[in-house]
Amino acid sequence: MALYEKSASQLSAMLKNKEISSVELTKSVFERISQVEDKVEAYITLDEENALAKAAEVDKKRAEGAELSPLAGIPIGIKDNISTKGLRTTCASRMLENYVPPFDASVMTKLRAHDIVVTGKLNMDEFAMGSSTENSYFKKTKNPFDLTRIPGGSSGGSAAAVAACEAVMTLGSDTGGSIRQPASYCGVVGLKPTYGAVSRYGLVAFASSLDQIGPLGKTVEDVAMLQTAICGHDKMDATSAYREYPDLAALLNSDVKGLRIGIPDEYFGEGIEDGVKAAVIEAVKELEKQGAVVKHISLPSTDYALSSYYIISSAEASSNLARFDGVKYGFRAEEYDGLVDMYEKTRSQGFGDEVKRRIMLGTFVLSSGFYDAYYKKAKLLQRRISAEFAEAFREVDVIAAPTVPTPAFKIGENTDDPLKMYATDVCTVTVNIAGLPAISVPCMNKAGELPVGLQLIGDKFAEDKLLGAAYAYEKAVGGFRLPNL
Amino acid sequence: MNIDIKHIAKLARLEIPEDELEMFGTQMENIVKMVEKLPDISDELKPDPATPMKLRPDVAESGKFTRQELMKNAPSVKAGCLVVPKTVEQ
Repeated sequence: MALYEKSASQLSAMLKNKEISSVELTKSVFERISQVEDKVEAYITLDEENALAKAAEVDKKRAEGAELSPLAGIPIGIKDNISTKGLRTTCASRMLENYVPPFDASVMTKLRAHDIVVTGKLNMDEFAMGSSTENSYFKKTKNPFDLTRIPGGSSGGSAAAVAACEAVMTLGSDTGGSIRQPASYCGVVGLKPTYGAVSRYGLVAFASSLDQIGPLGKTVEDVAMLQTAICGHDKMDATSAYREYPDLAALLNSDVKGLRIGIPDEYFGEGIEDGVKAAVIEAVKELEKQGAVVKHISLPSTDYALSSYYIISSAEASSNLARFDGVKYGFRAEEYDGLVDMYEKTRSQGFGDEVKRRIMLGTFVLSSGFYDAYYKKAKLLQRRISAEFAEAFREVDVIAAPTVPTPAFKIGENTDDPLKMYATDVCTVTVNIAGLPAISVPCMNKAGELPVGLQLIGDKFAEDKLLGAAYAYEKAVGGFRLPNL
Repeated sequence: MNIDIKHIAKLARLEIPEDELEMFGTQMENIVKMVEKLPDISDELKPDPATPMKLRPDVAESGKFTRQELMKNAPSVKAGCLVVPKTVEQ
């Protein structure tokens, strides 16, 4: 097995035992990138030179006997909406095509302290708005399991890179499913942490009350390792939770005896493909076989979640993206007549169609005379959805549902119909609305099949329970499958 | 609902070309039709006691960045200032 195929936890042990060096590992990953990147197109920016320099630095530290993090020397790719000091951060937008952040996002400061090797910046839907990565200004990332299909989005590059072994792990961000949905389509594990668990400082804002950075990896253990490294209070993010976090990888426990799993009937209704339903139910049965207790529960407001999500997220986006005016940083139109014309031309040429739609929807729902009918109602519904989840978590420990209604669709299939694209988020948005953690772990993953994920949703800050249940399932059915590229 | 795309675009400081008005108009109407699907709730919207927020002291920190570093990404800079079109008539 090539080094790039191995999981982070395997590689971490090999590095620690000096069976391999970080330079060897990093070279193996870049060798893989040179073989498959033309087909997959997961990256916007590669940073091989600095990656190799960092790997050499870590090897030197290790040779000198320094006490290193389990992540030290592991090549990790970063979604291109997370600020990386000195490394171009585009958000897959023409608006930020040449933007080089003068600072690191807090997650990057943390990961650099763990001595990770940054491979580069990963493709995504422009400003994280989309479900297929087709909204990138730069390129269309392909699903490594079928190059004619989308990898999901918005963290499509992050999921495809892990599946294609173009990075050992990656960071993504999840506002309405943007980590879990592509993880599901690409057959990898993706965790959307509890709102407030991971600092948003340096994450280019889309919908600030819903955005959360999270890890993607080949295995549950890898995701637990990376999550442990990035979580924690940060004074630079006013919504960051004040609490201490355990070492999730060390806590990982596959004993699910007595674990109460809730099945919300609302997530298995119309629009969810039969094969997906069957795979999720099969996965729950596997956990039941291991001693988990299954209960049917009801989350009655699920039907309204998509409306509530698109109102809240677009309202926040319209405000957040007002900063892109061609003055302080980013793109500016070449020709204009006066200040207002400069704003309008800059924004019209700098943003793609989906971003414009979201900005206009947000502007509309916040505009005079419409606020009460849309935004206020959506916020009230958010409370109701949160309350329904809180009620459910009195009865169960985790909730099992599909991550997505169908396997990955064809490139171009939904681009002309925004509503069809939005509908792919139907199983994931509730989690962001309620600020909960959720994981997607492959459950339809046999050779010849397109991958689909089992989504496990937990109560606030119950990442340990999610990871435990996902770990138990992964151990029983087998983990990562290498796509045939 | 009929949505005045030109008006919304103006509020959002976007310019939608004439030949795209119809496409955006239809799409926006469909999207609004979708998001209108909300139940009647008329409670009062109060801050959520479950997510209190502590504010940090608002203290200016200096020395973190140089002026040059912060202006490096600006589209137009002259004599250490950001350049914008003239906004005040003489």
